[in-house]
Amino acid sequence: MTIDGQKIIHAVMEGSQIRESKGIIPLFGVYLSIFSTDYYNRLSFEFEKKMSLLNLKDKSQSLLVAAAQECGYATFQGIRNSWEWDEIVLPMIATPEDQIQGFTAVAVAFGWGDLNVRQLIPGKKLVVRVTDSYEAGGYPEQYGNATVGKCYMLRGVTGAFMDLIYGADYPDGCFTFLAQETHCRAKGNSYCEFAAQRSPDQSVT
Amino acid sequence: MKPFNWQKELGREGHRLVFSGQPFAMHCHHYNINLQKMLEDALGSSGVEILYSAAEESGFHNFSFMLAQFTNIKTLKSKIEMASVIYQNCGLGIIHFQEIGPQGGRIVSPASHHVTGWLAKHGKRDTPGCHFLCGWIAGVMAAVFNHHTGFYHVNELSCKMMRCKECVFEVTVKNDD
Repeated sequence: MTIDGQKIIHAVMEGSQIRESKGIIPLFGVYLSIFSTDYYNRLSFEFEKKMSLLNLKDKSQSLLVAAAQECGYATFQGIRNSWEWDEIVLPMIATPEDQIQGFTAVAVAFGWGDLNVRQLIPGKKLVVRVTDSYEAGGYPEQYGNATVGKCYMLRGVTGAFMDLIYGADYPDGCFTFLAQETHCRAKGNSYCEFAAQRSPDQSVT
Repeated sequence: MKPFNWQKELGREGHRLVFSGQPFAMHCHHYNINLQKMLEDALGSSGVEILYSAAEESGFHNFSFMLAQFTNIKTLKSKIEMASVIYQNCGLGIIHFQEIGPQGGRIVSPASHHVTGWLAKHGKRDTPGCHFLCGWIAGVMAAVFNHHTGFYHVNELSCKMMRCKECVFEVTVKNDD
């Protein structure tokens, strides 16, 4: 069944108007905040820069991806167990693969970019393309052209989507899959693309 | 003159989420707290500085932009009220500006996204942990009083992440300015 992304965006925008007494937005089973993409870019790229000075650039990149993948894993587990998901998204889901479409639609609603599933081989591979990732847009403005992909958040989240559908039952399936960013606008490509496949030590024999 | 109504300011430009025309994103406590823990674990005080500075710079630019948009927001009272409203409506929590002036002041937060998120994920801390709010306050104060970022220093005197009753922040002018 086709997932109606506009319906999900509408639900998120409506839900994001609700505050509980502590000024917190409880929506889709998680506490949401709304803040500038500039903040997230500064945080990630300044962390990477600082770690590079300590010869820990690779470590910083893997930490940023891991932070996002753990987040995506917990967040979308909460989302798919929420009453909002049951009411709005679940009726549009016919197969496990539809859940991935539901996840990407929620990510679009959250303002993470125009995520578009390009390829899904059940249990094996997911390819997501994004032409307007805020990470890829923000990096060159501050630091010039990149030599490697800079969309650490989306890279982690792409892996998390596969973990949730094809990994072990929650909470044991995180990092079953790992994603690579094969294309990135920050390094001059016309779009960003993420390919998640089973982690080398998680391959099915 | 453009009236301020935050609900009208939060909207979409295609797939983008915008607040008063500026690109924003929704993220949950899992991501915000994961980033904070990653920065603190990997870099210690340098990681805290990155968090503080990112929040200060972004808070400053966002709030300066808002003040330029809403020229009817002129008085100190109305400016800090707008800051509180934005903070609350972005799901970041509740803040009360107290004794605020050009030399600094005191701010109290009885609840926040980061406190709720930290306690949910990691429980009680031994040190204050609202680095995001410290930086954000410094940026907003600089915008309110027409200073540059780095003009103010914000110190968290008590923190709900340590199970204190509320988070209390002291704002002072940096000595080296």
